[in-house]
Amino acid sequence: MSAVASSFLPIMAVISGQADQMEAQQLSVEDMETSLNALLASEKFDWLRANNANPARADLNAGAGATEVDVAVPNNETTTSEPPEADPDKVVADAVGDEQLEMDFDGVTADEALIDGRRRPGVHKELPERVTQNNPGAISAPPPEAFPTDEFPVPDRWRILQSLCPQKGSDESIFKVFGALQHNCRSTLNPYGQNVLKGDKPIPADKKPSFLKGDDWFFVVNAISDTVIEPRSFPIPVGIQTTERPGSINVFGRSGSEVYAQTFITGLALIKGSTAYKPPDVEYRLTLATQINHVNVPERRVLFVEPSKKSRRTDYFVGVQEAFFDYHLRNTSARHDFDSFRIGIQPMQADFRGFLFQDNQLGFRLFGTRDNNRVQYNLGAFVQLEKDTNSGLNDITQTPRDSYIFFANLYRQDLPFVGLTSQFSVTYNMNREKNDIQIDDNGFPVRPALIGDLRGRSYDVIYPGYAVDGRIGRINVSGQIYGAFGEDRNSIFTSEPAKISAYFAAAEASYDVDFLRFRASGLFASGDGNPYNNIEAGFDAIFENPIFAGADTSYWIRQTIPFAGGGRVISINGRNGILNSLRSSKEQGQSNFNNPGTILAGAGMDADLTPTLRLSANANHLWFHKTESLEALRVEGSIPSDIGWDLSTAAIYRPKATQNIVFRLSGAALLPGKGFKDLFDQTDKRDFHYSILFNAILAF
Amino acid sequence: MRNFRFSAAISAVALLLTSCGGGGDSNDFGGTPSPSPAPSPTPSPVDGNGGAYTPPSLESLSIADVQTIIAQAVGEAQARNLPSVIAVTDRVGNVLAVFEMNGAAATATTSARTALGALNNPPIDVQDVTIPAAAGAIAKAITGAYLSSAGNAFSSRTASQIIQEHFPPAPSTAGLESGPLFGVQFSQLPCSDFNQRFGNSGAAALIGPKRSPLGLSADPGGLPLYKNGVVVGAIGVMGDGDYGYDPNILDTDIDDEEAIALAGIQGFSPPGAVSANRISIDGTQLRFSDMVVSDLSPLQSNFAAINGTAGNLIPVTGYTAGAIIAGTAYGTEASGIRPSTASEFKNTDAFVLTDGTGANRFPIRAGTDAGSVAAPLTAAETRAILEEAFIIMSRARAQIRQPLDSRAQVSISVVDTHGEILGIVRSPDAPIFGTDVSLQKARTASFFSGSMAASNLLGYPDTDVAAFVGRVRTFLNDPNALTGATAFADRSGGNLSRPYFPDGELGRPNGPLSRPIEDFNVFATGLQSALIFPNLGQHLAFVTGASLTDTPMRCTNTPDVVAGQNRLENGIQIFPGSVPIYRGNQLIGGIGVSGDGIDQDDMISFLGLHNAGLRVGGIGNAPKTMRADNIVVDLGNANVRLRYVNCPFAPFLDTNDQNVCEGL
Repeated sequence: MSAVASSFLPIMAVISGQADQMEAQQLSVEDMETSLNALLASEKFDWLRANNANPARADLNAGAGATEVDVAVPNNETTTSEPPEADPDKVVADAVGDEQLEMDFDGVTADEALIDGRRRPGVHKELPERVTQNNPGAISAPPPEAFPTDEFPVPDRWRILQSLCPQKGSDESIFKVFGALQHNCRSTLNPYGQNVLKGDKPIPADKKPSFLKGDDWFFVVNAISDTVIEPRSFPIPVGIQTTERPGSINVFGRSGSEVYAQTFITGLALIKGSTAYKPPDVEYRLTLATQINHVNVPERRVLFVEPSKKSRRTDYFVGVQEAFFDYHLRNTSARHDFDSFRIGIQPMQADFRGFLFQDNQLGFRLFGTRDNNRVQYNLGAFVQLEKDTNSGLNDITQTPRDSYIFFANLYRQDLPFVGLTSQFSVTYNMNREKNDIQIDDNGFPVRPALIGDLRGRSYDVIYPGYAVDGRIGRINVSGQIYGAFGEDRNSIFTSEPAKISAYFAAAEASYDVDFLRFRASGLFASGDGNPYNNIEAGFDAIFENPIFAGADTSYWIRQTIPFAGGGRVISINGRNGILNSLRSSKEQGQSNFNNPGTILAGAGMDADLTPTLRLSANANHLWFHKTESLEALRVEGSIPSDIGWDLSTAAIYRPKATQNIVFRLSGAALLPGKGFKDLFDQTDKRDFHYSILFNAILAF
Repeated sequence: MRNFRFSAAISAVALLLTSCGGGGDSNDFGGTPSPSPAPSPTPSPVDGNGGAYTPPSLESLSIADVQTIIAQAVGEAQARNLPSVIAVTDRVGNVLAVFEMNGAAATATTSARTALGALNNPPIDVQDVTIPAAAGAIAKAITGAYLSSAGNAFSSRTASQIIQEHFPPAPSTAGLESGPLFGVQFSQLPCSDFNQRFGNSGAAALIGPKRSPLGLSADPGGLPLYKNGVVVGAIGVMGDGDYGYDPNILDTDIDDEEAIALAGIQGFSPPGAVSANRISIDGTQLRFSDMVVSDLSPLQSNFAAINGTAGNLIPVTGYTAGAIIAGTAYGTEASGIRPSTASEFKNTDAFVLTDGTGANRFPIRAGTDAGSVAAPLTAAETRAILEEAFIIMSRARAQIRQPLDSRAQVSISVVDTHGEILGIVRSPDAPIFGTDVSLQKARTASFFSGSMAASNLLGYPDTDVAAFVGRVRTFLNDPNALTGATAFADRSGGNLSRPYFPDGELGRPNGPLSRPIEDFNVFATGLQSALIFPNLGQHLAFVTGASLTDTPMRCTNTPDVVAGQNRLENGIQIFPGSVPIYRGNQLIGGIGVSGDGIDQDDMISFLGLHNAGLRVGGIGNAPKTMRADNIVVDLGNANVRLRYVNCPFAPFLDTNDQNVCEGL
């Protein structure tokens, strides 16, 4: 019953990977640069150009000129830690805007080309003949010392432009000659205004604490409000020991319920480096998420193990979603290929779409790029933090779980051909929770899960994976294949060790026509066709957060279906998850490889009606792959595999065409197929289930 | 008669020891392995005339079989150096042999370890009672035989799993509801008017179901015996002096008694596909045995080699004369349970209880309570209820049977408001325990819904029993409770009979018909155990020879309704599966069902009665406003509603309808 805000995880990912923020910074820096060029071109400041052209000053210029050179260096690190997301439903992902950068340079040898008028370190055009000025009688320009210094109070280059801002109420005519300057003269309350608290400018030298050595320390504060209002329905069994109403004489009761969740995400970061200009040298970051959630369900013993408690619950929690130290070890090329490491609670996404592991977890990660950022790698080791039950946030007051994740992955651009990025990965989940008993905050046992023999389990699973993301011609493609191989020390069906051998494949293709994008999605996660043999063939992830097939707009991905009659505190699928994994909890439970598997086929469309309004629609059909495990647990034969149609639509409204104010309203309906009807029912006079999600994100 | 035995505590500790299970096949109990589930039968339409079930073939244990079983068990006991008493019964509870090994402890002690883990001081009800080891062995065997069928092989360990205050008993389940068969241990009682006794003469000698000296057992060491997939009996082993239960199913016990029993059943093991490990309740797998074949020493099967040297066959007063006898084949006239005749019951699938000479022991009849109710059940109405309930059962998906999508198999009893039996029918392979239990349930629903419940309990000579009335009235804040204003299904009464109220919720006081959790264990369930405690004492004194007088064939000391009629003659039952029968607002009886999942039992009684009402008119379920689910108990800081019935998910094989009891 976790009530994580729908938009929360992608947001976290974006903040923590700095994509959003860096993007914003980069934009403003670009603005600055543009403005600067304009400034330099203007007649009023002729002296600067003259100075620039003075060969006698060449040595001085070398230092200043580096500024311009660095501007063009992309922020490699951003793309490394945050592979480009491609889902159109994820509004936050749009801000990354990677696609625009993927211009077609076919025919140009990227390494060698030097575009006219540009310079790059290490690459020199043949210089023209040296011009020797011989101008007898000329008067040389005055030295800098000749100018009154109080007219140029510019402590660092980030403040050049703002030093030109007119005083409030004074002559603003400069904006007429230099319009772009307005953007640099905004109030600090405007999220797009230059602000020392947002890392747009370094901490002023006089305010910098003494323990921060050197220059270029940036301080960044984030504040995001995420509001979720979510009326939904799913099959709910009536309380076993007591019921909310008289006349509750069947297993299934009413199905409608509501979730309200307000999350405040607040973060602090201290960064040393040039931020946008090159990977930071050092970064300290702390992000807290504070959530208040309220859930109202129609039946007893859904929210609490205690049947006497009311069927409403208000809870709050403060989770530590980021607390890390990031250190830039070295550059490995003149183009800022680099090696860095990051230690602490940090975001991690194992693949493009979050199928296997996408979470903010405690660990160590070594990462970097090679070959002009065309190769990116990650090596990491994580231990899973315990999650707060009702918010899904990290609970650092509890001992971390005996579950460890080791992974290595490699991204290669333009493999197998230009336009596609390939990812090769190996992820190893070492789970040692055999002797663990974990009761969640609502009193329900989650480890070992209340399913099968109920005995504790340890397991080792290795997930080899291959993923691809990019385009083939005009068709955008994203694909993922995983295997899951290893050993479960105690099968819940046989009480014996069992081999794990399961598979996963998913692909999504889309095609853009003007403002429309058409999508087709398919997903297959193998199910276990014989729970009583010593092979577990059901694919389960470590911690999925799939951005796929409509993501949390879709009913099946957003809502959790309690497996009534087949397991207590067991859900068919997890919240913000697509796999039918029969876990006790996506957040706190163990992976379960005795599951029925998942098959999805769907189509969708996004329409960018205006820069501020996007409409999306998705139609997915879902099936179980194998229903034998469901049948064994329910002692019910012949459960059909058809789950049903999942139809959804969403509207995303960004009144300012920015990511700072985003509203989303989505509605989804599950039209049950034969299998779902065979498993579940409700007393409401309604033959479908719904999931409505209103989400407002306000970011400063 | 209650002795403190420190050995009980020591044994309890021994039971808690765990191991990794020896590395063998964790589900190998010696039966035919069944890698692929047997195909599910194709459900055919049920017309109410029969043909929906295939009766089990006639199989029985021969004397040689019994000798082999005993020899195998003794061999393992020798290997484990645990001299034991070994009992073998047939499916209907006839004791075929009791073998006492040299040096075996002659007695055992019922566990006084409460649900909280402490030894209860002073013990109450049936806690810390010294019992003959043979009685323990017999009770364990009867448990294995009675709980099992061709579709499910259950053991006394399985019983332990489903009768405790949380289901299943484990460190991780505190706060969850009680076991589905909570209270079933107090069935098949030695005082039951229904269960038969050893010593019948002539053709009635071997009719069952026979009583158990201690009811059903939760102490591991009772395993069923099969021949050709058919239950033919069971073995029970008593050797460690502790007659208890397993408080934690998460571990794997090293249990010598269970190992000895497992050795005994080799060659007679249940098919792997029907063992308890293949059956889940709410997704929780049941457990047949923690010991597996790989834990056993080499089998010794030569009876002659051990008889008289390793120990001896012994007589047990009230159960066996000492010599080995062959078992009866279930389904024969001699077994006491046989197919019904056309004149007895319309549906040819039905089995009835018989007296050995062909006479139905409980032919369908009209109510006998004309003195208490205006219009008692007529024979036609009783028949309609049984027939309609039988149809619901035939359509119902079994919850505890393999292969999947088997039909439910239960026993169905109808009683009048005096507790008199108006008819009992069974499906061909319904587990035996449900026969007595269905009757207990029918009587319990009728009793607690009746106007005389309070006065009958207050009339019990022991104030311990009478005190429960006041507790109920205080708890419900109703000075007139238990006088007939409310219809109590067994599920409702069960809500009041748990050591936590609401069921399983930690930190709450006990239900008014239960014991406080500090006193509670499976030997002290509250009113249920208090009602029959004197009978049990009488009987054990008789078995040990301390008394020459056995307990009367009629449980409880509640006052007679009329001469010879007592409402609770086989005790009460406190888990779901019954509803009271009404004519308008007038209680006229009760229907009880037992043998499959408790939700199935509920549905068969509730819908069977409902459909009978539709068919014959006038009778039916209690008016909705009278049902116990209108009662809301104020706990001060919470309100908790009682329940009435709970019809199961995916209830029928012939339709995919859900929530089939909605609005009825």
